[in-house]
Amino acid sequence: MALKLRDLTLGYDRHPAVHHLNLDLCAGSLTAIVGPNGAGKSTLMKGLIGELAPLEGRIDRTAHRLAYLPQLSEVDRSFPVTVGAFVAMGLWHKVGAFGRISGNAAAPVAEGLAAVGLTGYERRPISALSGGQMQRVLFARLLLQDADLILLDEPFTALDTRTAGELLQVVKRWHGEGRTVVAVLHDLDAVRSHFPDTLLLAREKVAHGPTAQVLTAENLFRARQKSEAFVEAAPVCDRVELGAA
Amino acid sequence: MSWLVDPFTDFVFMQRALLGCLAISLGATPVGVFLMLRRMSLTGDAMAHAILPGAAVGYLVAGLNLGAMTIGGVVAGLIVAVLTGAVARFTALREDASLAAFYLISLALGVLLVSLKGSNVDLMHVLFGTVLALDNAALILLCAITTVTLATLALIFRPLVLECADPRFLASVSRWSGPVHFIFLALVVLNLVAGFQALGTLMAVGIMILPAATARFWATSISGMLIVAAVSASIASVFGLLMSYHAGLPSGPAIILSAGCLYLLSLGFGRVGSLFTRAFPRPHLDA
Amino acid sequence: MITRRLLLISAAAISFASTALAEGKLKVVATFSILGDLVAQVGGDRVEVTTLVGPDGDAHVYQPSPADAQGVADAAVIVANGLGFEGWMDRLVEASGTAATVVIASNTVTPIAFAEAVEEAGHDDHADEHADEHAEEHADEAHDHDHAHDHGAQDPHAWQNVTNVAIYVENIAAGLTAADPEGAATYKANATAYLAELSVLDADIRAAVAALPADRRTIVTSHDSFGYFAAAYGLTFVSPQGVSTEAEASAMDVAALITQIRDAGISAVFVENIADPRLLEQVASETGAKIGGTLFSDALSGPDGPASTYLAMMRNNLTQLTAALGS
Repeated sequence: MALKLRDLTLGYDRHPAVHHLNLDLCAGSLTAIVGPNGAGKSTLMKGLIGELAPLEGRIDRTAHRLAYLPQLSEVDRSFPVTVGAFVAMGLWHKVGAFGRISGNAAAPVAEGLAAVGLTGYERRPISALSGGQMQRVLFARLLLQDADLILLDEPFTALDTRTAGELLQVVKRWHGEGRTVVAVLHDLDAVRSHFPDTLLLAREKVAHGPTAQVLTAENLFRARQKSEAFVEAAPVCDRVELGAA
Repeated sequence: MSWLVDPFTDFVFMQRALLGCLAISLGATPVGVFLMLRRMSLTGDAMAHAILPGAAVGYLVAGLNLGAMTIGGVVAGLIVAVLTGAVARFTALREDASLAAFYLISLALGVLLVSLKGSNVDLMHVLFGTVLALDNAALILLCAITTVTLATLALIFRPLVLECADPRFLASVSRWSGPVHFIFLALVVLNLVAGFQALGTLMAVGIMILPAATARFWATSISGMLIVAAVSASIASVFGLLMSYHAGLPSGPAIILSAGCLYLLSLGFGRVGSLFTRAFPRPHLDA
Repeated sequence: MITRRLLLISAAAISFASTALAEGKLKVVATFSILGDLVAQVGGDRVEVTTLVGPDGDAHVYQPSPADAQGVADAAVIVANGLGFEGWMDRLVEASGTAATVVIASNTVTPIAFAEAVEEAGHDDHADEHADEHAEEHADEAHDHDHAHDHGAQDPHAWQNVTNVAIYVENIAAGLTAADPEGAATYKANATAYLAELSVLDADIRAAVAALPADRRTIVTSHDSFGYFAAAYGLTFVSPQGVSTEAEASAMDVAALITQIRDAGISAVFVENIADPRLLEQVASETGAKIGGTLFSDALSGPDGPASTYLAMMRNNLTQLTAALGS
């Protein structure tokens, strides 16, 4: 198991965004997380990478190295750094803070850029990139990170079909290399076409398993019923276990 | 040409002043470039006030002893830096408000401590010197601070750049995020204290920020900015000292005003993003 | 018959004497602290001295208060320096309506014209600085004034020459005796003893200066009150160029001071109102001149200070000068 969640509750200010979640993710699985807005998908991601501490419950992670693509990038695009230098940061796991990057980095960087269709962009400053190009650069960096567990939060939003398609190929490549990939997505067609497993989330687990079994009309209907609002006067939660693994 | 060179060949104090200024130009400007890139340009000003209680404690303990007041100032600055970072990290308050809160507390504390001793001594006037009066101890201090700054920056360059460009990524791959931030603030404090000794009062902040702002209009890469900043600070130092010598202007303001002039010229006519390039853009390329 | 007259005369004499004793000490007002010290030395227990311009005070710009006028009115003797030192004296005496005798201590002293050395080395600068310096520095220490324009041609600081002070002492003794003939013997004895100390002091100064190398007898000081000292003992006092205001120094000022010191072969610098002592050290190290301590010229220091009496003051100055000028 690459990832085990036990009775996980994540939220803000005592209001749960995700309740009592139990989940087992196998190593090497390619899982999509889908659900209506406010279902707690991004919150779950933040919990998985450790940015948000659980209100209750546990996360067990056996992955050696984790890579994460956030929904809203906090990159300072005006900072004077080139694409090449930026992507090379993905080699941090090898060189750390002080190791010499030097010439050995050129090849992996070029490879990474080629994989996302940005060959030759090494010397361009990141301030000169379009939104789609920036997203591809972030993907290239992820490639260099060589991680076991890759978390992507809405990676294809605001990208044109061709770019999205190219990046999807990268995701499949990761899957082929045996890495565990989890991605939050809105495009159900893409999920049905490319993702073997799905977790349907609506502040609690609605269904998890092979995509065809999860994305049924009935499940989707149930998911839409769940309220996304935080209720100010809600009583303390007394439910223990919701849904089996 | 003799008016350019004679002042420095004839007088030892001018040589020392020049050496002191060049040391500061090398040490403080890189720190200033990063401050500017991180949008922390006003931090220098806030830090200048934050060191007051440290200097006050030094004064209470050892009287008007420069060494004690300097050490006190550095310690106070570092404490404020640590507290600011800690609060920003572990509470809901962001860094700018955190710094503002601590430097104000610090400043008030300093004023209180000074008035406890009874006399109306203008501490800052005593603590802050003039570049014309750098004795051996002060020169050594300046050179040491510059060396430490450059060495440290070389060492933490990668994490520092990443902390500025993509702090969340750095936090995800390394534990250096917090330490780098603090080390950087410590360098700011050190260079401010060095600048105070040489240039007096708030001129120290000027030599940090003005050349960095100037560099923005000439370079697009970090290393380019660092070079332009150091060069422009050096030019301003030489020019300021010459103005002080030939026209009788006080040295600190003369140097900073020279740096200011370079900034204004760059704002108007620099190679990158200046008013001139915006008003008269070059024709675009084919692809 | 003769016996009765003798008895009557004796009675009268005794009652006279007892009246004098019953009235207490002779009230003397001295205009400033140096004179106050001299009067106390000569008068001893017989006099009660009040000093108008106290220690560290500035007699040139002193403004007498109503309390001073009262003190002057009650006094039997007033001792003033003369030579234009106390411009406010005449009006004060007149206003108080006092019946006291005024003793001019510098009577029969040969005055000298105001320090020419001061005039040579940059008088023009002082014309400009003058307006600022007076405005800023009047309220402060007594040490830092340029009075070239205040006193006309004569230098009033005659006490800087010890032999003049001997004359002062004799004038004071004479004045006290005239007001209090009973104490004539006391005054004479005190004066003689003090004169002996003065001549020792004078000899010491001459010896100390003679011991200095001939090329190390010029100093820079912002005081202009050492004309008599210079004339009597052979040191040269020069006034500094620039660098004496509170404002931040410019390189031009510092360079000018260094050049002045080099050109005039100055060996010691006593400038107390440069704002930054480190600047002074810089100047000193570059020129090889030594920095001196504090010189007292126009007033004594407080009782705990190094110049609490005239003798102490002169000795302090001598020590500072020789320390700075000695190699």
